Amino acid sequence: MSGATAATAAGSGPPPLSAHGLGRNYDGYIALGSFTVEIEAGELVALIGPNGAGKTTFLNLAAGLLEPTSGRIEVAGTPPGSLAARRALSYLPDTPVFYEDLSVAEHLEYVAALHGAKDPGARIDELLERLGLQGWEDALGAELSKGMKQKASIALALVRPFDVLLADEPLDGLDPPSREVLFELLAETRAAGAAIVVSTHRPDVIAAAGRCVAIRDGRLAYDGAPDPAVLTEIFDRSELEG
Amino acid sequence: MVLAAADPVAAMKAMRRARRRRYVARVDVMEVLYRVYLGALVAVFALGFLAGALHEVPADPASVDGIRAHAPAAIGLAVALLIYAGLRAGARGGPLAIEAAEVQYTLLAPVSRRAALRPAALAQLRIATISAAIFGAVVGNFVFRRFPGTAVEWIGALAAFGALVPVAVLGSALAASGRRLRPGTAAALGAALVAWSALDLALGWSTSPATMLGEAATLPLQHGARAVLAAVGAALAVALFAGGLLGIGGLGLEAARRRAQLVAEIRFSAAVKDVRTVVLLRRQLASERPRRRPWLRLGGGSAARAPIWRRDWQSFLRWPAVRIVRVVLLAVAAGALAVAGFSQTPVLFVLPGPLLFVAALDLIEPLAQESDHPTRRALLPLPAPRLMRRHLPAPALACCLVVAIAAVAAAGIGGDFGLALGVGAVSLIPVALLLIGAAAFSATNDPYEYALVPQLEMAMAGAPIATSALAGLPALVAWAVVGGRLHLQAHGDGAAVGAAAATEVLLLVVFAVALGFLTWRFAKIEREAT
Repeated sequence: MSGATAATAAGSGPPPLSAHGLGRNYDGYIALGSFTVEIEAGELVALIGPNGAGKTTFLNLAAGLLEPTSGRIEVAGTPPGSLAARRALSYLPDTPVFYEDLSVAEHLEYVAALHGAKDPGARIDELLERLGLQGWEDALGAELSKGMKQKASIALALVRPFDVLLADEPLDGLDPPSREVLFELLAETRAAGAAIVVSTHRPDVIAAAGRCVAIRDGRLAYDGAPDPAVLTEIFDRSELEG
Repeated sequence: MVLAAADPVAAMKAMRRARRRRYVARVDVMEVLYRVYLGALVAVFALGFLAGALHEVPADPASVDGIRAHAPAAIGLAVALLIYAGLRAGARGGPLAIEAAEVQYTLLAPVSRRAALRPAALAQLRIATISAAIFGAVVGNFVFRRFPGTAVEWIGALAAFGALVPVAVLGSALAASGRRLRPGTAAALGAALVAWSALDLALGWSTSPATMLGEAATLPLQHGARAVLAAVGAALAVALFAGGLLGIGGLGLEAARRRAQLVAEIRFSAAVKDVRTVVLLRRQLASERPRRRPWLRLGGGSAARAPIWRRDWQSFLRWPAVRIVRVVLLAVAAGALAVAGFSQTPVLFVLPGPLLFVAALDLIEPLAQESDHPTRRALLPLPAPRLMRRHLPAPALACCLVVAIAAVAAAGIGGDFGLALGVGAVSLIPVALLLIGAAAFSATNDPYEYALVPQLEMAMAGAPIATSALAGLPALVAWAVVGGRLHLQAHGDGAAVGAAAATEVLLLVVFAVALGFLTWRFAKIEREAT
């Protein structure tokens, strides 16, 4: 598997992902306010919270797609968007995006080449096979169903080396067997030393995570082991199940 | 491996080659050649016809001296305004429109963003410079008949000037986006350049870089130091673009993503010739929102008597300052082009109308909103055709104001107050009605109604813009009378104003046709709904 790059494998350097007093406003609306968290190598963190809580905002800030209005965030000790951060971080967005005129295989080859993946052919074949995308290699993005798009997007996030994986609602649109495969892939990624942050409403992801970070109204509401009793106190059950 | 590459940069190149191959494979070469052939044929006939019909005569020495002395600064001011717009666009993530996938996969990869974005910037520059150079050459083809200098000199100078303008404008936008200038800072820089260029115009100087670029547009008339200034202006434009290109890697992804999404929608809307949606999306792109507090609160008296009239004025009174400034600038530019039509080439009389049409699209907003919301419209105790007609007086009155600004600008720029204000006064109402009729027609077009008949679809989208060009007719007629090109007994300003007034009939007939079509269109929609 692609797994972690050498940068954080040793565990002696800066944490793969850290935020201190991180804030983001939109025209006076606070999407994220004074948010502090550190994610260690090899952790699988479930990022939970009701709709509009600030989960996607946090992931976008970490990926360098948004600029913070206050505080700071670092990926492997460097600001998001820096070359080192881009090398270290893989982002799986909530909505899959594709070049309209490239096939699934061409996307995978391109992303692997951009990130200097070693022996990408074998990894691409493995991901295509495990995610049930064989036979769809030559399909364009527009020809894929919602679930197939999500699988292709997952393959694109995993085909390259990384230290941090940010996944925004990765199980959306997946059938049960594909969910199982994704859980396996996440476990392998974690075992290889990568830090994983999964934004989710799903109890099965929360249960699989070693740590749960909850956001409510842009603020950190809980950070600890995924304890159902505590989480039920913080959120309505309906909010957790989406 | 289709895209096998040794390193990230090679991967980007391979990916672009693969996409280009796929694009070329999809293109129907014969269809493209046929379109080019048709376009060239129409252009050759139109230019030949105009060149023959306009009976250009050489300008007198005083006019030539006036153009030599003042035109570079006036043109420079227009360039400065375009650079201002470029800086503003750059501060909002422009001028590039990057695909979402390009952001997700290429710009988030550990590769040089400058290298990743350079091809898109150069492609945009290529399209803009070629289009502007062709336009400049066409204008040069008419200008050389009136001024000293050969056809080659004028066509070459104006083609080069045309090519340099997008170089400077795109350069300023790239620099603003690469440096992540705040919108306020970008606007302040642009305003400083505009003020500097305006000062040049007022004092007869040639110190602003935009004025220097303006010297290039009149190069066949310039000698010595002013010709050198033209070269300096050109060099500065190229340097600005080069600087912008070097810094493009600093582009903020947040603004770029937002812009990419809106531009993709604008492109789709433009492809289906949906002018209304293009207007709305462009406002979003510029973050142009109505004011929370109106400039002026209307009293309650008119609410019961004329609710639609009141609603329309409430809309205008919430215009953001940037929209007011834009409409005023469009009016001033229309006036300046009318003056240029008199002094340089009458071909330019075609342009004021479409410029004012853009302003009219803003003025017609309340009517357009009624068209956008058929359910809300159906709840009103008023037949749709009558409702739409009642939305016309307020925009028409506001448009009179805009045309008046254009006339005053023409008087101020041209210096012939009697002629400019006279022509403006007699054509004020018909031109305003023509523009509002055209804008109402355009804003209520259903882009999919004639999707199966592309020629009709094109005609429905193009008719309002072509019709708006008629707004230059009074000025054209006045120009013909003043120059003795119309065989009238008198040739003075009074005769010119009188002849311009005679065009009212045609403009009012066109407005009546637009009004009739609008009534028919909404009667049909209402009939089909019930």
